[in-house]
Amino acid sequence: MNAEGTEPPVVLSVRNLRKYFPIRGGFFGTRVGDVRAVDGVSFDIFEGETIGLVGESGCGKTTVGRMLLRLIEPTSGHAYYRPTPEVQDRLDVLYRQLPATTGGDNNGKAKGPAAEQTIQELDQLATKYSLYRKSPRAMRKLRGKLQIVFQDPFSSLSPRMLIKDILSEPLEVHHAGTRAQRAARVTQLLKDVGLNPEHEWRFPHEFSGGQRQRIGIARALALRPEFIVLDEPTSALDVSVQAQVLNILKRLQADQRLAYLFISHHLSVVRAMSHRVVVMYLGVVVETALTDALFTQPLHPYTQALLSAIPIPDPELKRERVVLQGDVPSPAAPPSGCRFHTRCPAVMPVCSQVDPPMLEVRSRHWVACHLYPQGIHDTTSREPASDAADPLADAPMTATAT
Amino acid sequence: MPAAVAIPSGANAAPLPDSRTPRLSAEPVAPLASVDAAPDDSTILKVRELRTYFYTYDGVVKALDGVTFRVHRGQTTGLVGETGCGKSVTAFSITRLIGDPPGRIMSGEVLFQGADLLWGLGDEAKYFPIADSGRVKVKRKFRRIKAANERMSAVRGRSISTIFQEPTQAMNPVFSIADQLSEVLLLHRGMAIIDELMAATPDSPGVGKAGAELIDAARSGVREEIKAAAKKFGAAARAPSLGTQAFYIARATTSRPEELRRELGKSLTRLRLNSTIRRYLHYQRRQLEIQEKLNEVYFSEMTDRAPHTVARLGLRRRAGQLGLTHLYYRIPFFRARLSNPLKRELFWRVVSLLEGVSIANPVQIARGYPHELSGGMLQRVMIAMSLSSEPDLLIADEPTTALDVTIQAQILELMRDLKSRVGTAILLITHDLAVIAEVADDVCVMYAGRIIEQGPVREIFRRPLHPYSQGLLASIPRLDQPSKELASIPGSVPNLINPPTGCRFHPRCPYAMPICKQEIPPMTSEGPGHLVACYLYQGPVVPP
Repeated sequence: MNAEGTEPPVVLSVRNLRKYFPIRGGFFGTRVGDVRAVDGVSFDIFEGETIGLVGESGCGKTTVGRMLLRLIEPTSGHAYYRPTPEVQDRLDVLYRQLPATTGGDNNGKAKGPAAEQTIQELDQLATKYSLYRKSPRAMRKLRGKLQIVFQDPFSSLSPRMLIKDILSEPLEVHHAGTRAQRAARVTQLLKDVGLNPEHEWRFPHEFSGGQRQRIGIARALALRPEFIVLDEPTSALDVSVQAQVLNILKRLQADQRLAYLFISHHLSVVRAMSHRVVVMYLGVVVETALTDALFTQPLHPYTQALLSAIPIPDPELKRERVVLQGDVPSPAAPPSGCRFHTRCPAVMPVCSQVDPPMLEVRSRHWVACHLYPQGIHDTTSREPASDAADPLADAPMTATAT
Repeated sequence: MPAAVAIPSGANAAPLPDSRTPRLSAEPVAPLASVDAAPDDSTILKVRELRTYFYTYDGVVKALDGVTFRVHRGQTTGLVGETGCGKSVTAFSITRLIGDPPGRIMSGEVLFQGADLLWGLGDEAKYFPIADSGRVKVKRKFRRIKAANERMSAVRGRSISTIFQEPTQAMNPVFSIADQLSEVLLLHRGMAIIDELMAATPDSPGVGKAGAELIDAARSGVREEIKAAAKKFGAAARAPSLGTQAFYIARATTSRPEELRRELGKSLTRLRLNSTIRRYLHYQRRQLEIQEKLNEVYFSEMTDRAPHTVARLGLRRRAGQLGLTHLYYRIPFFRARLSNPLKRELFWRVVSLLEGVSIANPVQIARGYPHELSGGMLQRVMIAMSLSSEPDLLIADEPTTALDVTIQAQILELMRDLKSRVGTAILLITHDLAVIAEVADDVCVMYAGRIIEQGPVREIFRRPLHPYSQGLLASIPRLDQPSKELASIPGSVPNLINPPTGCRFHPRCPYAMPICKQEIPPMTSEGPGHLVACYLYQGPVVPP
């Protein structure tokens, strides 16, 4: 991702992550259907990088964030923790060979011996690297490295604990240091997030929302993590305080080479924070690009609509705006084909039939849309060629990226 | 009969009823001293030196401490500020919806079209300070509070309506959408609706022909054609709601003309009201009329502050009368049969209201309950509800905060459309400066219970004067600009139990001077319509 072409090491490599929540009903609460909260999400998180995860409410952003910490177990798919570059390359090759529907687990229907071999190799790699195959003991060690800051600073801190107890609890759980060292660490943490060390003798209710959110960040930092999920960390805060918290997060990242997954529905904040952005719609990724590319040249119609829907604080600026009609469909019964086709302004007949593959349309700019049937190098298509061939060939390039 | 809503409107010759007979008199009334200072023609709402306090166990929270602003006719005024600065309290104070206890409006003036909405405020409670504790004992006179509430119902919902922040909490979960909207319609426009229902002519000669045309149009299946034909059909029977109804029947039975013919026949039959039903509707109408007149008396009392006790008591006695026939109307079984035509009429009016806020399948939605709808849909229902009475002022309290950006765009589009089509003045309360930039004409920036800067939207965004406004504008991340270090305002919003002395912003202000700690800066004028309360500027002082 940096200019010299030497990529920083990958912290987490997420592949085909899925989570179906069962709908219980009928006789004795049998499973009558699934809410497909997350339906095949893949991306990589590099060291020292912020990935923005954006989408409307109910699109599965938070579920992805929680699965990366194993707060929710996925239905299928894997998150590989710190794969070496060779493993990473091998994973790419294997996943490309894999039919998209199997999700990297053995529960898919393997076609022929070659596919079976692919699945077997993936299984071995998963056993070695995937978060979801770690034993409870190994996972507990890892939890120090993977942390989360929650959305609501008012309900994520225990009202009955002193700030010093809140901050030293993770250290105690992981048996980190002596009592004196822990106390020193608490002081340091409070300083790191711009609070007064004397505040450690207070209770959470004595703080304002912004201060509480900083305590939440300090708690996440206690065990020197490598990766933090920021689940809408500023949506409960006012703009002037939001800027304080965002600046602290940026400074901490520069100091400690933290990787962030920044989940937000607020695109302006995402633009200010992230290096790369993943746009989700109804459980699937529709577009991934470097931040500037995504905001200046959005390709997917959904991203374009999302961007144009955001009010800009400048009364003199008048823009053409794409107002999407209707609501997000229910994830329990997602539309066939491209999930966005029910609201898409550039919908074509093929959209309701074929699920568009994720293609690298420009350098480091991936998009899943029938408007862009050709990747820059076709080998990057993760779909098998036979699947995507005929209906896409005739698809006209109607809309162009602006 | 006169139109349903006949509240005398502000400056253009507010008719004042004679103190004994609550009838509309034609002569304009000489304005009294208090009304004299009242708004000129362009101002619809004037708030002056409004103070609202909350009496809590911790002490007195001075949520509003001298708020002064105006809303102009047909314009959108934005009220912007951080959490806890008193934006929502302002909205609730205007219609006197502050939860009491603990809240009390202490003093000030809220003039809406010449009527003093803070009528009888001084008599409502007495305050006894408790020595050495900084706390106050409040003795409320609940009869007075009740009387004021009764008067406010002449204004709430009909001249001033409010869209609340949380649509899921503002709707009643046990009534269907149609029921809830029907209630509002009946209350505010009931007389006109009953008149129209009784004036319908289902047997007039044009109806049969229009019906045949509608059946032809339905066969073609083109939405617009069916719509136009259905409208004609409704017009022929002089019942607009029949048009709406016919349209949805035709849509449902496009390919089955026989069924459509039958259904249309049924709808027409239902419009033929028998004498018992007509008598019941007359009764209903009279009840509404009495309430309407009572509201007029209330409104005039708030305008000229003279009590019209006799007229009021007479009306209330009439409203309470219960004859033998009326007793019959109160028996649920009979009442249900009699009120069906009115209910049906209201239902189809609700459907066309929902169409007006671009809800795709209004019939199903109207039959549904609030929990079946998404936040965006419910917010649109709320907007339909608050606009059904065609209010002069719409208070929108964070109407899009709970919604997604794509839905927010839809709602903002709708509000802009309403402003241009209906000419409603809007008081838009939000913490999102970007929303203000998109829809507002004027902006008031609030900080810790006071308005610190106000002016036209372009002026405020191009040339913010108060250090707080400057900090607020600098701290928004911009979507249209690449990322840079965000400016932030140090510190946080002060505690309003012990607010900072002088200018309440001085502890966070980069330019704080000694005088800022001691005295409250007055509003000064810095250019046309641009007011700011800060000692950095030496413009002419504007009295509140």
